Amino acid sequence: MSEDHAGRMGAIHRELHSHLPPEPALRVKALESLLVEKGLLDPRTVDAWIEVYTEEIGPKRGAEVVARAWSDPAFKARLLEDAPSAIAELGFQGWASGHLNVVENTPAIHNLVVCTLCSCYPHALLGIPPNWYKTAAYRARAVRDPRGVIAEFGEVVPDEVEVRVWDSTAELRYLVMPARPPGTEGWDVARLAALVTRNAMIGTARDLAPRVGGR
Amino acid sequence: MDGIHDLGGRQGYGPIDVGEPPEPFHAAWEARLLGIVRAFTRPGAWSIDWFRHVRECIDPADYLTRPYYDQWLQTYAAMMVDSGAATVAELATGRSASALPGMPAPATPESVETAKKTFARFDRESTAAPTFAPGDAVRTNPLGAAGHTRLPQYARDKRGRIERFRGFHILPDSNMTGKGTAEPLYTVSFDATELWPEAGSRRDRVYLDLWESYLERA
Repeated sequence: MSEDHAGRMGAIHRELHSHLPPEPALRVKALESLLVEKGLLDPRTVDAWIEVYTEEIGPKRGAEVVARAWSDPAFKARLLEDAPSAIAELGFQGWASGHLNVVENTPAIHNLVVCTLCSCYPHALLGIPPNWYKTAAYRARAVRDPRGVIAEFGEVVPDEVEVRVWDSTAELRYLVMPARPPGTEGWDVARLAALVTRNAMIGTARDLAPRVGGR
Repeated sequence: MDGIHDLGGRQGYGPIDVGEPPEPFHAAWEARLLGIVRAFTRPGAWSIDWFRHVRECIDPADYLTRPYYDQWLQTYAAMMVDSGAATVAELATGRSASALPGMPAPATPESVETAKKTFARFDRESTAAPTFAPGDAVRTNPLGAAGHTRLPQYARDKRGRIERFRGFHILPDSNMTGKGTAEPLYTVSFDATELWPEAGSRRDRVYLDLWESYLERA
């Protein structure tokens, strides 16, 4: 593995930087028309994928999984043991989730997910990652100062709670199962799912207690 | 590779944009690029590890400043140039100067129904036994690797604990050509105090998924 890909590919990157159009939108337009001309792309398929990730696949799926786990101890056990099989029961199998793991928040443990080396994310359950998840700031800071990062999102993790940071360095993907908030006894899955936020399933939020007057 | 991409624990990075709007895409070109990436037929046998490594080779200033999906574009463009599927001039103009013979018809909108429900797996069957067991103390490789690797700098030469054996997974370091070999993969946890000088008495832990050749018994 000593071949110098970095030298060869770095040179190609610099050449592309010098010659491609100056704006991202123009670069994307040029790429699309080239791929169509080369017979590698049907623009209607691009439209279909955009619709999937705008309308269908997003954090609502993850929220449904969490709410079901809160409501059904047998499903929760299957989810923690073999998450890909459990989410397939709901038809949620898909991108970057074939080696999904669900990690559970408890009164003593808080989990936070990051990918320091790129931007790995369980797309099939959470959809398109927020931009902040992909930034250098989040990737640099989450492993080193998770409590500071969570505080920036507005919550303080008590000192006695152990923070576990999951750095997605392989093809395993992580989804945080937040704790079911008190005061939700008897709620159905749909009502519970409405409480579960994307950030809670990444771990940058912890407390999902319903607020008086809603939020 | 000791590249700019290896960001874990680097200091000096500023606040996180916690007020980001909730929509999945913040510009039309971002959605378009994501759709293209999901839809286009790869003109070469590109592994996920080759994609990641080519992205790692983006000029450091561009890596830190270009929007995320713009980096994906740059990465696919570089892979196309490297494999001979397109020239820089073609990518700059959007006009094809030569055909690519032997490619199948592009994916249809109907194909999305199946593709969106497909699990990709990166583990492989093996009858071999893993060397480590949960609870074992291990130390990570002190030197890293010159090419693509998934042992971050912050976790080199550190003492950790095996949490779980995850099966035999393709070793990214060996998979630039897509013909990588599988190795035992483990979830390994590290005390925050082993990693960060300022961690003090924090009981926090960091969990990484690491391949057997990154580890030795401690």
